[in-house]
Amino acid sequence: MLTNYIKIAWKVLLRHPFYTFITLFGISLTLTVLMVLTSFLDHLFGSHYPETKRDRSLYIMQMRTQDSTRTGSSSGPMSFKFLTEYAKSLKTAERVTICTFVNSSNAYVGSQKIKLNTKYTDADFWEVAEFEFLEGKPYNEQNIANSDQVVVITDDFKKHYFGKTEASVIGKDVEIENLHYRVIGVVKGSPVTRPFTYADVYYPYTTPKSNYQRTGMRGGYVAILLAKKKSDLKAVQDEFQNNIRRIPLPGVEDGYKFAYVEVKSEPYVENFTGTLLNGNKGIKTIFFGVIAFILFMLMGLPAINLVNVNVSRIMERASEIGIRKAFGAPVRTLMWQFIIENIFITFIGGGIALILTLVIIQLINSSGMIAYADLTINVNVFLVSLLVCLVFGLLSGVLPALRMSKLKIAEALKS
Amino acid sequence: MIRHLLKLIWNKKKAHSLLLVEIWASFLVLFGLTSLLVYNISKYQEPIGFTYENVWAVSLRSNRDTTDLAEKIQRVLQRIKTYPEVESATQMSSNFPFSQSSMSNGVDYKKKHVMADFYATDENFAQTLNMPVTEGRWYRSADSVGKYTPIVINQKAKEAFFENELPLGKIIGDRFKVMGVVNTFKAKGEFMANTPAIFELLDPKSSWHDLFLIRVRPGTDALFEAKLVKDITLMVDEWSVEVDHLTDSRKNQHNLTLVPVIIFLTVSGFLLINVALGLFGVLNLSIAKRRGEIGLRRALGATGNGISEQFIGEIWVLATFALLIGLLFAAQFPLMNVFDIQAGVYLTAIAISIVVIYGIVTLCALFPSRLAARIQPAVALHEE
Amino acid sequence: MINLTNIEKVYRTSSIETLALNNINLNIRKGEFVSIMGPSGCGKSTLLNIMGLLDEPSKGTVELDGQRVSTYRDKELARLRNEKIGFIFQSFHLINDLSVVDNVEIPLLYRSTNGKPRQTYAKEALEKVGLSNRIKHFPKQLSGGQKQRVAIARAIVGQPEIILADEPTGNLDSAMGNEIMNILQTLNNEGATIIMVTHDENMAKRTHRLIRLFDGTQVQ
Ligand SMILES: Nc1ncnc2c1ncn2[C@@H]1O[C@H](COP(=O)(O)OP(=O)(O)OP(=O)(O)O)[C@@H](O)[C@H]1O
Ligand SMILES: [Mg+2]
Repeated sequence: MLTNYIKIAWKVLLRHPFYTFITLFGISLTLTVLMVLTSFLDHLFGSHYPETKRDRSLYIMQMRTQDSTRTGSSSGPMSFKFLTEYAKSLKTAERVTICTFVNSSNAYVGSQKIKLNTKYTDADFWEVAEFEFLEGKPYNEQNIANSDQVVVITDDFKKHYFGKTEASVIGKDVEIENLHYRVIGVVKGSPVTRPFTYADVYYPYTTPKSNYQRTGMRGGYVAILLAKKKSDLKAVQDEFQNNIRRIPLPGVEDGYKFAYVEVKSEPYVENFTGTLLNGNKGIKTIFFGVIAFILFMLMGLPAINLVNVNVSRIMERASEIGIRKAFGAPVRTLMWQFIIENIFITFIGGGIALILTLVIIQLINSSGMIAYADLTINVNVFLVSLLVCLVFGLLSGVLPALRMSKLKIAEALKS
Repeated sequence: MIRHLLKLIWNKKKAHSLLLVEIWASFLVLFGLTSLLVYNISKYQEPIGFTYENVWAVSLRSNRDTTDLAEKIQRVLQRIKTYPEVESATQMSSNFPFSQSSMSNGVDYKKKHVMADFYATDENFAQTLNMPVTEGRWYRSADSVGKYTPIVINQKAKEAFFENELPLGKIIGDRFKVMGVVNTFKAKGEFMANTPAIFELLDPKSSWHDLFLIRVRPGTDALFEAKLVKDITLMVDEWSVEVDHLTDSRKNQHNLTLVPVIIFLTVSGFLLINVALGLFGVLNLSIAKRRGEIGLRRALGATGNGISEQFIGEIWVLATFALLIGLLFAAQFPLMNVFDIQAGVYLTAIAISIVVIYGIVTLCALFPSRLAARIQPAVALHEE
Repeated sequence: MINLTNIEKVYRTSSIETLALNNINLNIRKGEFVSIMGPSGCGKSTLLNIMGLLDEPSKGTVELDGQRVSTYRDKELARLRNEKIGFIFQSFHLINDLSVVDNVEIPLLYRSTNGKPRQTYAKEALEKVGLSNRIKHFPKQLSGGQKQRVAIARAIVGQPEIILADEPTGNLDSAMGNEIMNILQTLNNEGATIIMVTHDENMAKRTHRLIRLFDGTQVQ
């Protein structure tokens, strides 16, 4: 029975190739855009390599100080000392890592220049972020205590600095800014879109030029708090805020007198959007307004289009339905035909969208636009958007048909 | 004839409402897109006002070192100037051209409050970036006598502060004395809006300004760069040195603007193709449905061209309605000055969108109505 | 006025070929009232279409006022159809989306008569066919006979010299049919040339001349 319907639907689709094409184009375009978009958002915010524990992590990115009148404010990363005192000491957290945010530097090999990003980290960094070590191992507390001049580098940097070689580079020397380091490990790199863990070269924080001895509250360091489990996040957050409240106020930092201090530990998404919009209400509403409008148009326009094409195709069959009914055809069979036709075309559209998305994601991943990009398709999003398309298809295809079947035969015949 | 078309459309308003919504929505999408494009193109057309080829930014960071910073910075600068590869070098604040950092401040002059970008530079800045000074001259270290800091402003700042007054020698913000005027200075590249900019003479005794711009001889390569970095780190060990080529930084800045624009452009492009196809399909169907009417009109004396004009006329009337509704929305942007963009940009965008919408609907109606015009009246009537 | 010589009309589809008209020679003089009769499918409508410049014959020539119509271009044909000829179709062909007056005024639309007089002429024509109380109705709201009368009003609104009527009384009772016949006769008395297809011998008797068709050929 069903195969019979599908056969009919297939024939109908082939009979009007142009309309089939329009409908397919609309459905697959919308689904593709939606899926690429969500896959990118997932890439930005989801728990992926090497921040696989992001769902139970809190990020501390900046400290904001304000003067007593709250007119001016100053914000930025913190000092190693401050984070050690207020974050590292947390008892509710499983682990806390302190590292610098992204710094850039240059290395030179012969006549070639390598632009690179560097990061100074503690040993816990390698526990909080789960890097895959291709060679060697991370530096440990011992290396840090000894102020060993060792580095962990990425496979990408290895390729640029040592050339394309299969041989291990463990123990080899890397020269950056006139200082020599011994390679202790090679990891698979992290994408640039994950700034808390992204770098080409990782140094222990006790190597020179890391500024970890700085005494004030501000400096170049950020921290990630890892909770034991997701439900502990609140407790960790509370304990950290308790610590922050212990900061003596008012205080002075670099000659700036402040009366208020704010340091937030937030899950990644909030941290990201928070810094993007920086609390400004007006900009926030405009920003979300524009995003909502774009999404609405993105979804709305193809939907209107789909409904439009569908409705006019059904209307075309109005008198046909009337005549069939006049001679006693059960409307239910006609309805089934429309429904099957719509489901069928939606699924084909979904299939095309899936393939297109895979191709686009593959292109983005391999284009090098974002090094180490690892976009993937989110199955849930795919299914939900398929369902939405189906609803629209059915609404636009079946509702007019239903209305027409309720129409008095005489009326239908007259049109 | 228009009255006739209006009647036809009005009597079929239900069937046309979806088309109306579709054209309206496309107009809004198109308006967003063209606003973005017009805005960026209009910015792009203004010159950035300086040359950046073969210019490198050398930034220093003192790290743990806290002694005699200013003096060390000056020593490094003097050393840099001795290389034969370096044609010109200048010291400035960290917001160098195409960098991510910026600094702006409000300045008052005669009850006018103007937000301007501030750049602290030394006397060689204009020469290093080949910036022509259109009025007066670039300041020199020797100008810094008395309580006034010598400044150079750009044309935009001149207009903002002085309108028709002569700017040279004027004191603004109680402590800046205008020495010269340059044309435009768009530090973030071509896609930056031309905003007021003020260059002030930096204080060589301050340890804040740890960045140099150097113009190297064409063809200078990374070997020299490596040597430069090595020499500097030998002079001031513990310090970090980083070299950026302005051409690279410019590319990064451009990508910040271009990538979102390109994404938006492709997505809206596909959306519009989608709409055009849909429109074409719907018109095709509705014209096919009206073959009888076509035959009849032909029988009553309409020419073939008359028929195709009628269909195009109908869709134009429809598009006009949709556009009028769309204009109600779009007009809010120039009226309320949303995003602080000049009304001219929005108006151009509206004009372009209107033309494109008429173009799209005409294209979509053209083919089916041409077909309709060729129908033999007897055949069309017979089919009814 | 209308001169047909050696007219032949063949309908070709991919598989079948129908000879709808075969060797028709006909001369219709100005002011004549001619009726055409014949069994269903014999080619009456086809002949009318050819005389009304809606279709071209496969062979033979059509002359209007001594001028061969095949020499006219589309624009001139359109003008002729608009000004010289008035059609009454077998199946009315009213535009469903337009009201009765708006349907009737269409021929005037194509000769760019102004809006006001257009409405007046249309109302006058509707009055002649006795429909002045239905001018704001839409075709769907009319009976078959009423539609027929709207079609007649539309044919006469432009005061054409020739009226081509394809079974104008086919959908009407005999009283109404007579009334329509009266209208046509009045028009004919005022100088219009009328060619009418009918199945009704009584109607045919009231015309000047009767042409009988059988299987595409003229038998009388
Ligand atoms: N477009 C066409 N394509 C193919 N055959 C056609 C076409 N139009 C008419 N015919 C054929 O030509 C013949 C004459 O048709 P026509 O419509 O002139 O008949 P008629 O005399 O008007 O009949 P009736 O009295 O039923 O209206 C018929 O056999 C018909 O099948
Ligand atoms: Mg007939």
